[in-house]
Amino acid sequence: MGRPKSLLLFDGEPLITHIIRALKPMFAETVIVAASEQELPDLPAILVRDEVAYQGPVGGIYYGLQAAAGKICFVTSCDVLFLNPALIAHLVSQIPNYDVVVPYWEDRFQPLHAVYRRSVLTLLKEQLNRGELRPVYLFDKVKTLKIGEDEIRRFDPEGLSFLNMNTPDDYERALQRWGALKENNPVQCTVELFGVAQLLAKTKIISLTLPEEATLSHLFSALAKQLPILVGRVISPEGDKLVSGCACNVNGVEFVRNPTAKIKAGDKVLILSADAGG
Amino acid sequence: MFGFHGQLLHIDLNSGRNSRRELEESRLRAFLGGIGLGTSLLHEYAPPGVEPFALENPLIFTSAPLVGTGLTTTAKYAVVTKSPLTGFIGDSLSSSHFALELKRTGLDAVVITGQASSMVYVVISDLNVEIRDAEHLRGKSPNETEAAIRKELNSPAIRVAAIGVAGENRVRFATISNEGRHAGRGGVGAVMGSKNLKAIAVRGDREPLVFDADGVNVIADSLRRRSLSSLTDKYRKIGTVANLAVFNRLGVLPAHNFQQSTFDHAEALSGETLTETSFARRHGCASCSIRCERLFKSLDGEEQRLEYETLFALGPLCGINNPESVLRAARLCDLYGMDTISTGGTLAWAMECSEKGLFPEAEKFGLRFGRTEGVLAAIPAIATRTGLGALLAEGSKRAALEIGGDSADWAMHVKGLELPGYEPRGLKTMALGLAVSPRGACHNRSGAYEADFSGEVDRLRADSGRGALVAASEDFASVLDSLIICKFLRKCFTDFYSEAAELLNKVTAWNFSASELRRVGERIQVSKRLFNEREGWRPEDDWLPPRLLSEVLSTGVAQGVALTARELGEMINSYYRARGLDDNGFVPQEKLQKLGLKTKQ
Repeated sequence: MGRPKSLLLFDGEPLITHIIRALKPMFAETVIVAASEQELPDLPAILVRDEVAYQGPVGGIYYGLQAAAGKICFVTSCDVLFLNPALIAHLVSQIPNYDVVVPYWEDRFQPLHAVYRRSVLTLLKEQLNRGELRPVYLFDKVKTLKIGEDEIRRFDPEGLSFLNMNTPDDYERALQRWGALKENNPVQCTVELFGVAQLLAKTKIISLTLPEEATLSHLFSALAKQLPILVGRVISPEGDKLVSGCACNVNGVEFVRNPTAKIKAGDKVLILSADAGG
Repeated sequence: MFGFHGQLLHIDLNSGRNSRRELEESRLRAFLGGIGLGTSLLHEYAPPGVEPFALENPLIFTSAPLVGTGLTTTAKYAVVTKSPLTGFIGDSLSSSHFALELKRTGLDAVVITGQASSMVYVVISDLNVEIRDAEHLRGKSPNETEAAIRKELNSPAIRVAAIGVAGENRVRFATISNEGRHAGRGGVGAVMGSKNLKAIAVRGDREPLVFDADGVNVIADSLRRRSLSSLTDKYRKIGTVANLAVFNRLGVLPAHNFQQSTFDHAEALSGETLTETSFARRHGCASCSIRCERLFKSLDGEEQRLEYETLFALGPLCGINNPESVLRAARLCDLYGMDTISTGGTLAWAMECSEKGLFPEAEKFGLRFGRTEGVLAAIPAIATRTGLGALLAEGSKRAALEIGGDSADWAMHVKGLELPGYEPRGLKTMALGLAVSPRGACHNRSGAYEADFSGEVDRLRADSGRGALVAASEDFASVLDSLIICKFLRKCFTDFYSEAAELLNKVTAWNFSASELRRVGERIQVSKRLFNEREGWRPEDDWLPPRLLSEVLSTGVAQGVALTARELGEMINSYYRARGLDDNGFVPQEKLQKLGLKTKQ
């Protein structure tokens, strides 16, 4: 590429800035692992440097986990343009009985788009000491959940999360795709389903792309198209609002009843029972 | 009289004698039945300052006007006494066939005083009352007790409410149980145990008179249809366990004794996961179309009912992260007859003491957050008051007084009643509701959390409008608890007071308006406060545990949110204003007169 991929510009900002911006709402803490001499913009994240150079992905994962405060970490590379919050949330949600949750896309593990327990640090250290720089060696030694393509496509139908930019042509194509997505589908949001809605849909979370200036009504209509099973039981038969037994909360904070309420890009819309009695 | 029998039975276990008296229609109009009638009778029968375990503390069972009318969710009864946990009013509800049979005995209320010289059970059958030896039933669970009594009396139609070992041993949060349901909170079972009363068995043929049976049937059909709509989907299709994942997501799932408001392992315990992995079957109370009960299968094949509060209290509150452990702990609580919320709350307090080095005995016992074996060993110890169980059986408030140090700071109770599974710092209206409830930290006697979930208030901010909301929701709950209608039906009404007044009038031939019915709710609520005042309530009793006012929420979407003493104080003042109480929360004379209540002595 001729320059660090993390510094490639999109809308005038380095890619790493977009990545941190996308990850910040999802996690309590963000850690960047950079090479010792690498220059980076000022970012709201903890910055750690490789202690030893050229240790590849295993080194990056190791130093990142070491610096993190949380017991569970999502790890991504610094050149992912199209991070998918719904997919990331799904990967994180699968960790409880595992040490690693890793997507398997186009016949390859994607260790730099995976969730790790901090408890794998010791094994990673041993790998580094042995010079085993491929993360897949870890997966045999710990409880690993492989997330297959079908499951990934529910959230990221084209696998944009794993799009690589290795050449200037790749960068050009990524720029065009970035522009097209913003123009045609300016509002990406996720819907989290709870209770009866989750049991009916057999999924906890779904990504939606909505037109600019989309409202909750648009969101319900889009949801009804993607999950027709919900119509009449969670979404009204007309498809533009929830049935009386269901309620909607935005970003875990605000309960919203007005179907004309606007949806912003990145919003998480929770659909749950309207009755919190217990 | 329609809807009521107009009869009260008083049984004195000391003398073994019983007497009947008429219940004044004026009292029934003023208080209805259920909790309302029980509160009114408690004022009359409990001598001021009576100790909860004293002979004179009455244990009052009440029926209600809608019981036996065939209306969905109305097969309920109330138990009212002075609570041994709080020292204030202890009112509790249970449901199903016992409620229907109690009504058929021809009684609206049964008041039990005194203490039998040995363990007994009482049989009320139409006009007959018998006190029978129950020493052979000592040690039996409530279910075993019911089966034994039915066999003994050769009467499969008889219904039984009983205490378990916890009640026998006066565990301060012991329940009275029937058919797997529990008059759960406040230790009503302990009062029953203090009277050496193991069980009450009821049988009768006196169907209640209904004024306009056809009119009632029309409403009954309509309510039944509404009860099967999306308004009750949660209860019918997943149960109250649905709350766990939602509360975790909203950052209001109390965990580790309210040190956290999210739980890492919520997914494994969620209602959705339980439904997919362990669901056994659904069940319902008698006369109920909603059928909210969910039974889940343990690994040993046993089925166990699980509600949200039990799941929270024996799960995240104690740091327990696997369903099997929660099911086993719940099973033990049911077996011994113990309130799961207070059990979990007391255990969580002990776990924190243990981890802070303040309670070595608890540490040796294995009571630490996340340790199943400690919980499963502690529950029988509490029920039998063995070893450290003797202290834990007193509840977290009293146990903290004994342990000392700073342990009272993390005894999570209000007035002695342990907090339910709604994190108050993230649900500010609920915070107020918990602080001012006469029963203690109760999620049931007001539905204050409804405002927080409605979108009409900012749940993360306190303001002076919350007082009116809490007062309104308390009045609503009081009327529901006195008609009696299950709260899971509440969203099926469009205009509750109008519809409920119409229903009541068709049953009783009275002519209540909506506003008059609302006034009944207010009267009942103020009567509860009056009783508490009489029994030593002070303004500082309407407050929240220190942790909630000194620690900021540290996890989840509500991270960083706090509740200050100033905010709580302002909300409480707004509640007192909304209720027409004086600045310190006492009931003024003019309020008594307005509500037609007796003046204070």
